[in-house]
Order: sequence, then C-alpha cells, then structure tokens
Amino acid sequence: MKALVFAESEPAARELSAGARTLADEVTLVTFDDPVAGVADRVVTVTVPEGHPKEDALETFYQVYQDVQPDIVLVEPTRRLKTIAGRIAAREGASVITDAMALADGVATSMYFGGVGVRTAKAATPVTFVTVAPGTFADAEPSGTDAAEAVAFVEPAVPLTLVAREDLPPAEVDLTAAERVVAAGRGFAAEEQLGLARDFCQKIGAELGCTRPLTESETWFPREAYIGVSGLILNPEVYVGIGVSGQMQHMVGVDRAKVSFAINKDKNAPIFQQVDYGLAGDIADVLPKINAEL
Amino acid sequence: MNIAVMVKVLPDDQDIVVTADRKLDASKAKPVVSTYDLNAIEAAALLAADTGAATTAIVAGPASVDDSKTKKNILSRGIDALAMAADDALADMDARQTAQALAAMVNQADGIDLVICGDGSADLYAQQVDVQLAEALGWPSLNGVTAITAGDGTVTVERVLENERETVTLPLPAVLSVSPDIAVPRIAGMKDILAAGKKPVTMYAAGDLGELAPAAVEVIDVSAPEPAARKKELFDAAQDGELDAFVAALKGAL
Ligand SMILES: Cc1cc2nc3c(=O)[nH]c(=O)nc-3n(C[C@H](O)[C@H](O)[C@H](O)COP(=O)(O)OP(=O)(O)OC[C@H]3O[C@@H](n4cnc5c(N)ncnc54)[C@H](O)[C@@H]3O)c2cc1C
Repeated sequence: MKALVFAESEPAARELSAGARTLADEVTLVTFDDPVAGVADRVVTVTVPEGHPKEDALETFYQVYQDVQPDIVLVEPTRRLKTIAGRIAAREGASVITDAMALADGVATSMYFGGVGVRTAKAATPVTFVTVAPGTFADAEPSGTDAAEAVAFVEPAVPLTLVAREDLPPAEVDLTAAERVVAAGRGFAAEEQLGLARDFCQKIGAELGCTRPLTESETWFPREAYIGVSGLILNPEVYVGIGVSGQMQHMVGVDRAKVSFAINKDKNAPIFQQVDYGLAGDIADVLPKINAEL
Repeated sequence: MNIAVMVKVLPDDQDIVVTADRKLDASKAKPVVSTYDLNAIEAAALLAADTGAATTAIVAGPASVDDSKTKKNILSRGIDALAMAADDALADMDARQTAQALAAMVNQADGIDLVICGDGSADLYAQQVDVQLAEALGWPSLNGVTAITAGDGTVTVERVLENERETVTLPLPAVLSVSPDIAVPRIAGMKDILAAGKKPVTMYAAGDLGELAPAAVEVIDVSAPEPAARKKELFDAAQDGELDAFVAALKGAL
C-alpha cells in the first residue's frame, strides 16, 4: 500500500502521516514551503511563486500524485486542499470522502445532516481520497526519514492572480482547551447583551463561544469561536448553552460534555432534551439574577 | 454577463424521523433549498443587480425536487430563470455525479460566465461539487468567497481561509463557492412570489444530461447516533425557587 498525504499545517502533517503509516507501508507527504522531518518516507515541498494563490499548485500536486501512484490520499480538510484534492480526484474519476472522523479498512465515518446521522462509506474507485478531521489519528506515532525534496512549480493552464494576502489575527481564545464552555446563541438580542454572558463566564471560569449564526449574519464573534459540525468539536467538562435552540449542527460540537446546561425562553426548545439541566427563562431577566447568585 | 447558481434541493432535516432501528426516514420530509445555497442565490442576485447580468438557478436531483413551492422559492429571490433536472435516476448522486449532471446543464444553458455554488450542502457538506464541477468544465475555481467584484472578463474576489484572508482575480469563465457570510438571504415579498410563478423554467430528464458516471463512493450505512444520556431536568424561572435550584445544579458541576 502507498499513501500520499496532503497537509498545510505541521500538526496535520504529523497526524495524517502517522495515520497513513498505520494503513500503508510507503508514506509520501506533500506540503507547502517547509518540510516536516521524521514523519514520512519522503517529503515533497511545493513553493508557489509570488502573485499566485496556493491553489495554483494543483498541477504540481498532480505531478507528485502521478509519480507516487498512491492507493490512498489523506488530506487535511482546509479550503485550499479540498480544492486541490477534489480536482485531482475528479481527474481520476473519483470523489473525495470528506471530514472523516474514523478510517479503518478503507471505510470512512463522517456526519450526515450535521450529525442527525452518521454515515459510513468507502471509495468505489481504485484510489481512496479522504479528508480527515483532526484527532482521528491522535494515537498514531509518526515515523520516517528526513528525506525532503523541493519540486519545481508547474504553471496551471489558467493561472489566477493573487492581489493581496494577509494573516488573520490569531484566535483570542482556545475553546478546545477550555474545561468549561458557554455558547451564546441567537437568543441574544443585541451585541451589548453579550456583556451578561461575559460576566457569567467570568463567574464560572468559562470561555465564551457561540453558534454559527453569530459569526455570520451577526459578526459578534470571530469565526473560530463557533461550535458545531462545521466549526469546533469540543470535549469540555461543563457546557452551558444560552439562547441556543439545540439544532444538531451545533449540539454535535458539545454532546461529549460531562455535564450540560441550557437557558432558553422557550420551554419546548429542543436543547432541553439534550442537556442535564435546563432553565426556561428570558436572558434579560434570568442571567443578571444568576450572575448575582454566583 | 451570465451567472448560474447551483442549488441543491433536499429533505428538510427538521422532518427527518429516526426510526426504531436508528435509521433515518426522510420520506415524510418536505423538499427545501439547502440552507447555504440561499446565500449563494442572494450573492448571485446582488451581483446581477450590480452588473446587469442574467441569472439562472440550476438544480439536479430526484423527481421529488420538482416541487412548485421550492421552484417559486428559488425564483422569488432575484433569479431570472430556472433549469431543473428532476429524475429518480439522479437520486443519491455523489459529488462527482452531481458535478457531471450540473456541468451538462451549465453547458446547455450556453454562455454562462460565472458559476456560483454555496458553501456546502446541508446533508453531506462535502464542499466538493464546486471543485468537481470546475474540473468537469475545465474552469478555474475558488472557495470561501466573501465578496465578488466583476471586472472586464474577470472577477476579483475576497476570500477567508482558515488563517488567512486573500484577494484574488480569476479570468472568466470560473466557478466560485461562497461563504454564507457573503450575503444574508432576502425574505421574498408577496409580489416576488407571484412574479416567480411567471419566470421561465426548463425541465430536463436524466437522459438529457449524457451518461452519468458510475458512483465513485459506496455508502455502507447511515444511522442516527445514540443520543448522549442526559438528565433533562427542566426548571422554570417563573416558578419560585426554581432559578435557585438551577444555579445550585450549576454550582454542583463546577
Ligand atoms: C451545513 C450546515 C452546517 C452548520 N454548521 C453549524 C455549526 O457548526 N454550528 C452551529 O452553531 N450552527 C451550524 N449550522 C446552523 C444550525 O443549523 C442552526 O441554524 C444554528 O445552530 C442555530 O443557532 P442558534 O441556536 O443560536 O439560533 P436559533 O435556532 O435561532 O435559536 C435561538 C434560540 O434562542 C431562544 N431565545 C430567543 N430569545 C431569547 C431570550 N430573550 N432569552 C432566552 N432565549 C431566547 C429561542 O427560543 C431559540 O431557541 C449549520 C447549518 C448548516 C446548514
């Protein structure tokens, strides 16, 4: 078995290469710019010339793919690599299975309808392409050589022009490391009302995250603060959802919490069926009282 | 400029029932437009309003997608025309098959310069149809797009990735997948819904789209996960002492 790993970040390069090692006896890692040592048999680095977005490395990645002729391609689920892997799969008559949470004997497990279901699937094509969620191979140990080679950039048929690029500011909180997590939902009527949630977090020593709509239609939170199937999947001791309805897409991100709480003004909100303790009440009314008691 | 927006119509997850053996039953679910495709429709409509472009929505799926309410819903959102392939031969397509069906329809629509896709479908959220479609058409593509500006034979887009923000110019024709924050879907008025009923709809059968490739992915099983065991104790803040009891439970967990 030969495995090819596409990764952008070093942690993913390590984890996916380690995972690949459990599946294959030959592991090649392709990454941008700087090689990662000791994780694969062969590390190939691609440097994209200035003025191109990194997606323009498609032809270069494809050349490595053709050279390696892998049986399985493990991909870090980033926007760029979903494009590069997806286009290579298309050329090979294959389809990428995305965001696998488990992978064994070629069978990938991923969420369906945001966690309403769990789906198992495998490639019906000779080569398996799969993007792998972080943590899937957390227990695998990477091993490999320091052999690294830089390949020449292959110009794409239709090059794109990178006009500007900047790093996003680093995340202010790390919800994945927090033992206690509070999620604010659309039940918060105005940004100012979030002060109540912040006070609450301070009282109980929690970090504040949110549901996805609060990062989109409302831009009250940075994108990396939203919890759920397309955001963060957490493992906290305590979860408190405030003004959160309890849609699966959000709840799959916190359903591993040891103890969970919810505050919602609607007695019939679905979240009350998914937590240990619920309080039916209006945020504006109950949260100041709760804060006063803590 | 001619803009085509790709729209997935699928069962409303609110109506999906978990059966006794933990399978999912969507047979009673009404068809809806996949959530984030509404944002893609809005982005297409706003760009068209800005540039005078014509817009076509393209849908491919099983016979159940041919639903008059859904068709009106799509056409009441600032979209000029609808092309729809509704055929049970197009049920349960993987990303590759979907892209092939859509590519055939984009080609038949003739003169499309820009294809806009949503961020990901509500069922699989694989974020693969845009790239597979671009490859099938032989066009460049970009995802994560948060703003689009039309140029002369080009579009310049802003996009947000995991840790970076970029501005990129693509020559047309091209495929874009837009992030939901690009535009908030409009609430269509009565007038828009009435006008939608008069807009042109072209229906296709699977046979009109050329031979569909065999499935590239084999689905083994779909089941509802066992829900986590929870106490489900509900306190009512309007009742004396219940807020205190909730706070006591909270303190007990800290
Ligand atoms: C493909 C896809 C992926 C998605 N991924 C995610 C994801 O990863 N994470 C995520 O969060 N969402 C995700 N979503 C969106 C998700 O489906 C829900 O729309 C979202 O989680 C709902 O957020 P909410 O609970 O804050 O808002 P709502 O559903 O609008 O709920 C608001 C709740 O607040 C209550 N409320 C209102 N006013 C008050 C008040 N004054 N006091 C107390 N309670 C009040 C209401 O009763 C209601 O229950 C995804 C959707 C799709 C289609």
